[in-house]
Amino acid sequence: MATVNATISLASDITDSNINVSNTSSLFEAGGTTGLTTMTSVTKVLSSTTQADLITTGSVSTTHAYVYINNPSADATEFFKITIGAVDGAEVEEIGRLYGGDWMWFPWDVDDDITVIPSVATDMTIEYQVFS
Amino acid sequence: MATTATFTLTSADIAGDPVNVSKTATCTKAGATTDLDQTTGLNRVHLRSTVNKVLLGANAEGNDLAAKVYIINKATDPSLYVTVTINAQTIGKLYAGDWMFIPWSQTDEAADIEVAASNWTASTGDIPVEYALFHEDTDFLTNA
Repeated sequence: MATVNATISLASDITDSNINVSNTSSLFEAGGTTGLTTMTSVTKVLSSTTQADLITTGSVSTTHAYVYINNPSADATEFFKITIGAVDGAEVEEIGRLYGGDWMWFPWDVDDDITVIPSVATDMTIEYQVFS
Repeated sequence: MATTATFTLTSADIAGDPVNVSKTATCTKAGATTDLDQTTGLNRVHLRSTVNKVLLGANAEGNDLAAKVYIINKATDPSLYVTVTINAQTIGKLYAGDWMFIPWSQTDEAADIEVAASNWTASTGDIPVEYALFHEDTDFLTNA
């Protein structure tokens, strides 16, 4: 079992009293303190605005995983719609739009595929890692 | 005014070589380089219900606008988790100490972010959850 730590540091001066948050999570199997064993790290280039499967449930053998997705584009106007649900399924929910330079991190219950829709058909690079 | 979110992941042994990831995002308005200018601030609630509760209510005005959501489960018992859903679609379970940071599209008014203390019982005690929303322009967002 491996030791994997994920840290977020949030800093904001929007409000009069600044927000500064820093938390580190040690990644464990569901409900315990056993470390994870598997990491998948992928970079893809998508060249169509068609919805595409990014991470399929079949690629993970557990029911609890952690997902990091990064849009490395330097173009702030380019984004990926990050959705959850099978590409051909009736129930696909848009989580959010990952603009150039943005990243996201979330636990995934591996019930439905993570899918993406690029905003432009020119080559767009997306990076992700899955820990389980 | 600026909001930055830095992600750091480290592991010496998940792979044959150490894994180190570090990425800082400056949170900006949709499709622009202008900083986000509104926030709920950091909030804390104590969950004591296995039923979904609205943590952040969606407003269709927010569709196509930028919003970033931070949620953390502050419980210390590793078995206690919070199920996070958007429009009834389960995203995942935040176990004790776990956090998430996601962009949030409010595709319609049903796209609430809801949480449930799915394995809570009277004997487990409350599950503390902290969260913050950073967003732009509309006056739509209120805490449940």
